[in-house]
Amino acid sequence: MAAVRADDLDQLVPLFERYHGPLFNYLTRLTNDRETSEDLTQTVFERILKYRSSYQPTQPFKAWVYQMARNVHADYWQRKEKLRAADVDEVERTGGLRGAAFSQMRVSSHHDDLHEALALLPTPQREILVLNRFQGFGYEEIGKLLGCTAEAARVKAHRALQALRKIYFAGD
Amino acid sequence: MKTPELTACHEMEALLPAYVERSLPTIEAERVAAHLAGCPSCQLQVTQLRALTDDLDAALPEVPRTALRANFMAMLEQQKALLPTAATTAAPTPAPPAKVVSMWPTAVANNWMRIAASIVLIAAGVLLGRQLPWSGGNDNGLATNTNASKAAPAALADALVGDSGRHISASDRIQLVTNSTKVTEPGDATVQVLLNTLNFDPSPNVRLAACEALYRLRDDPRVREGLTNSLPLQTDPNVQIALIDMVVSLRVRRAVPQLERLAKRPDALPVVRAQAEAGIGKLI
Repeated sequence: MAAVRADDLDQLVPLFERYHGPLFNYLTRLTNDRETSEDLTQTVFERILKYRSSYQPTQPFKAWVYQMARNVHADYWQRKEKLRAADVDEVERTGGLRGAAFSQMRVSSHHDDLHEALALLPTPQREILVLNRFQGFGYEEIGKLLGCTAEAARVKAHRALQALRKIYFAGD
Repeated sequence: MKTPELTACHEMEALLPAYVERSLPTIEAERVAAHLAGCPSCQLQVTQLRALTDDLDAALPEVPRTALRANFMAMLEQQKALLPTAATTAAPTPAPPAKVVSMWPTAVANNWMRIAASIVLIAAGVLLGRQLPWSGGNDNGLATNTNASKAAPAALADALVGDSGRHISASDRIQLVTNSTKVTEPGDATVQVLLNTLNFDPSPNVRLAACEALYRLRDDPRVREGLTNSLPLQTDPNVQIALIDMVVSLRVRRAVPQLERLAKRPDALPVVRAQAEAGIGKLI
């Protein structure tokens, strides 16, 4: 990333290869929308380029890029909320259609229930589980990303896991 | 009466995820184990937490479409073009503008290509259509679902470029190309029309559809030749990878020199170059 910062933009290609899959996965779990997540992943890399001079070489690239992805998602969320306020019907209709398209895209039906249960969690809880379980973040890293201690991150992750368990096994 | 038990269970709820994770200090873990022994509802919780953890571990990651990579590369090239000239002279690779042009059908060069492709397609279609024996008097219904007065490949070529300048959308062209092999036998002129589409259509998606259609006509020797010749013409990574996969699966040894060149092309994506390398390994 230090090379990208020094305007050697080709050096972003290996970083893209390494991170675009995990970032897309992270954003898809947060938004439940593959198409939007592709756009958001692209936006993350646009911002990396745009703000490359603000990257501190002492900082781990992973932490920096996930912080960027969180901000991109937060901006998207705000835009969506504004839109919802402006035209509730329209958003609900397209949201429904997108949801239908999303569920049709699933290859494996076995994991459908898990993803549906995850989708029902409040976003902060979902995010912490996705980071911990899907992105391989330790509690220390999560704490840094979310601005809390590792111990607080651990407690939050455990609460989120219990909340997910209740949804997942609600029918049992 | 049940209140102390419920309170204990409530306290357990906070501890059980750590217990399942085996991250509790020994003393606490023993306390939890002692409670579990006499509490079926907390036992159920542990079973569920374990099952949930297993399912989370087994969940497959979402994989983005290859379009994401293409969009990223286009964006990167744009950003590189915006860099001050001092930086660009330091890296004297001449390719970037050509690459951006290849991805967007609205680019100026592609309009020229479209006209050239139209002429080539019409000429090839009409010529080959006239030469082939089944264009007159064949009664197996090949041409019945297109235009009875035209041979199928000529009709396809015409349809692909649009009659009298009418614009045919990329999705319509994909449909035409995909359907083309359903009504044809190996050995007819459709192969040539499809090869022209593969080489000259402005849309990478149409070119990909032509790739797939040609694969179905792989018994025709022109297909192997045409795919090999098409390798150096392609600039879209998806088409490049599809072509590499096809020459490898058809075991076209002649393609090795083209693959070697592709593996060294500075404007090709690392993933394309790696695929070409792997293909060479399988062919030699």
